Amino acid sequence: MSARNRLYAALIFLGPALLAVILLRIWPAFDAVHQSLLAPRATRYGFENYIFILTDPVFQNSLWTTLIYSLIVNPLQIAIALALALLMNVAVRLIRFWRTLILLPVAIPQSVSAVIWGVALRPDGPVNAMLVAIGLEEQRFLTSPDQALASVILIVSWIGVGYWMMFLLAGLQDIPKSLYEAVRIDGANRLQQFWYVTLPQLRRPLTFVLVANTVANFLVFAPVQILTQGGPQGSTNLIMNEIYTLAFVAGDPASAAAATVILVSVVLLVVIVQFRMMSAPEDRQR
Amino acid sequence: MTRPGPVRIAVIVAIALLFFLPLWWVTISALRPADEIFRYLSPLSTWTFWPRELTVAHIAELWTGPFRQAIVNSVYVTLVTVVVGLVVCATAAFALAVIDFPFRNAVFIIMVISFLIPFDAIAVPLFGIMRGLGLQNTYTGLILPGIGNGLAVFLLRQFFLGIPRELREAAFVDGMGWFGVFWRIYVPLSGPAIVSAALILFVFQWQAYLWPLLIAPAPDYKVAAVAIAQLSSFYDQNFGLVFAAALFIALVPMAVLTALQRFYTASVASGGSKE
Repeated sequence: MSARNRLYAALIFLGPALLAVILLRIWPAFDAVHQSLLAPRATRYGFENYIFILTDPVFQNSLWTTLIYSLIVNPLQIAIALALALLMNVAVRLIRFWRTLILLPVAIPQSVSAVIWGVALRPDGPVNAMLVAIGLEEQRFLTSPDQALASVILIVSWIGVGYWMMFLLAGLQDIPKSLYEAVRIDGANRLQQFWYVTLPQLRRPLTFVLVANTVANFLVFAPVQILTQGGPQGSTNLIMNEIYTLAFVAGDPASAAAATVILVSVVLLVVIVQFRMMSAPEDRQR
Repeated sequence: MTRPGPVRIAVIVAIALLFFLPLWWVTISALRPADEIFRYLSPLSTWTFWPRELTVAHIAELWTGPFRQAIVNSVYVTLVTVVVGLVVCATAAFALAVIDFPFRNAVFIIMVISFLIPFDAIAVPLFGIMRGLGLQNTYTGLILPGIGNGLAVFLLRQFFLGIPRELREAAFVDGMGWFGVFWRIYVPLSGPAIVSAALILFVFQWQAYLWPLLIAPAPDYKVAAVAIAQLSSFYDQNFGLVFAAALFIALVPMAVLTALQRFYTASVASGGSKE
């Protein structure tokens, strides 16, 4: 095969995917940067749009809400997923079936899960009925500024933790038995086994889950837009909902573009930092 | 793996059933008369969790009512996405894994970095571009974002890299061209990876919400995931239809993933957590 033949073949095979990457990722990314730097009623470049949204109390609140939400939801979901993985890592009849029941919610479109939980969390809905049945008080959930964000966290965790559990389960099953036997001979108890064998051995799947989950949680949109539209009182106005509101409710595409650039930058930064933090010294030397 | 005690098994079963409870409630609510959906909540009774009367009226309404077009749209858009997406992703993966051309690694790195940008994050600027191209309220506009999937390309490329070089060299000697090698050798040998890639493409498109909400708001092109959200926000809610729609939209991927679970988790796990 001549070099020219290989180049033509590569162009034909890669062509559609390259066009897709350019149209679907590179063009909109550049377009967002371009729009965000262009003042709404001027033709020169500048940072007016960034200054405008960063001094806007609604946008500031949205960033703050997203930060609080991320700091709660990511550790919470990973802890639950890890606990579930440890619990479900047993050889017993039907265990695949029980795991599948926990995994199922991730297969459902988020808009459907949002609709289901929207009805379930109604003041006169089944969740309150169950709370009353076990002797607790009824809650306001999505209609209360103090509980709405927690309700969103409940919904996205029901959706996601089974999915992350599957990666950690796969990781647990890759750990060689001999490692546990070795530390047991040294007299390690169960907690020490977990701390000195399980956690270090799970570093790779945990890194992946941490990064993928953080990114996924930055992008939560359907439950917020369907159930609260960012309310009550801005308490659930996560960044994706704020971008949507800026672009299509406020009719301010330049501000939406600036917010998009901030979101994409933060996502890429988080991905890079988390991969670096979780990689062990021996990986870095290589 | 350890032999679990009865307490641990009970905890496993209880947690699994708790996770399943909302879906069970959707199922029975879709199959019971509309006036019974909220009837047995206070006090809680057996009838809260078990239908007293069964009806398929709401299920039938999916096909006779306003939801029918949304189902047709979702199924059509998803099928086309999987078929076209497989062609686009598999050919790209083949070029990146097999054909030795200048700047191959550079092209691969640009593709990986581009796909690190999550699609939903740039959906709003992309919407402006696509509307400018006249693609609002078209099937093309709905399908396009689903066909180029970085994870599917990455996964297929990894699999293609594992197919021995000697196979294609022998084929070239026999006079086969690049397309022959791709279609007669690489595709038939890559069954599991292709199923995994198809699942990734399927899940992405079936679950899409933000993009269809923007690009296809007209009733003729609205997909099911968007239609159900709007159905449930009507003031005069038809809960029977909402639950029937939720059940249908949820059952399709649940059935597919349950049947093909080993392909899905295995592929995503090996694509993500290991090199």
